[in-house]
Amino acid sequence: MRDKIIYGIGIAAAAVIAWNLYAIWGLPDEVNQGSVYKIIFFHVPMWAAGGTGAVTSLVASVLFLITRKFKLDALAVASTEVGLAFLTIGLATGSIWGRQIWGIWWTWDARLTSALICWILYAGYLMLRRAVEEPTQRAIFAAVYSIFAFIDVPIVFFSIKWWRTQHPQPVFWGGGSFPPDWTRHFLWNMAAMIALGVVLTAVRYRQEEAQREIDSLRRMAHAL
Amino acid sequence: MYLLLAQITVEDLEREKLFLQHNYQFLTFGLMAAWLILAIFVLMMFSRERRLKREIASLKAMLEEKSAKA
Repeated sequence: MRDKIIYGIGIAAAAVIAWNLYAIWGLPDEVNQGSVYKIIFFHVPMWAAGGTGAVTSLVASVLFLITRKFKLDALAVASTEVGLAFLTIGLATGSIWGRQIWGIWWTWDARLTSALICWILYAGYLMLRRAVEEPTQRAIFAAVYSIFAFIDVPIVFFSIKWWRTQHPQPVFWGGGSFPPDWTRHFLWNMAAMIALGVVLTAVRYRQEEAQREIDSLRRMAHAL
Repeated sequence: MYLLLAQITVEDLEREKLFLQHNYQFLTFGLMAAWLILAIFVLMMFSRERRLKREIASLKAMLEEKSAKA
């Protein structure tokens, strides 16, 4: 039943993305940027999905430290890994967009730099997990590290408000606006990406459970 | 109005044409990069899923064999 719900959400998200891709392709060009602005319909939702992964990881890590339930550790690693994939896409699409509009692939402004640090921190989280063998110690270290890594997330989010950056102000809370039909496509894409993130996290969470089963089977094999 | 139009040179039009062409190119690159990274990640998850299932099956078989011998 749980599988059916997960795959149902996944299929619905994929259908919304496919429909949106077709609809967005047909939208008129923006007056200053031409057609390349359409990357925003994917760039921002990818960051939203990545941010959702980071928040989930933070909550799961805090709850793990309180309850010491390994299911929460599994949720933290699953959401971090999926979130990192979305952050990678966010960085890549942003860089490609910047190359056309700013004329550069990358600049060390506050938003881009803090976003890269965020990516490195969460990649470090996954590397840390590989480095520690003992499961309880690994889970505790990883939970503490995840809480530390999250400090960068609000810095990424507010950097464009706190400092002058090459990266523009956000459309919706920076004084800009979208025509209503663009907003509709944008919000649908946002919902679909987050739903896709939830599905991938659920699948990855199940894999962590399978890994724990393997560990216990190995222990049994050694005991026999 | 006509005076403004008269100021537009052939080079300006060429530059605008190139910008629009590059726009489509970069939009395509952006979308391709997004789907490619996502596809690689999903494929990695599929391959991990297969490996885990194989590992569980082989461990269970080994345990059954060991307990039968015992």
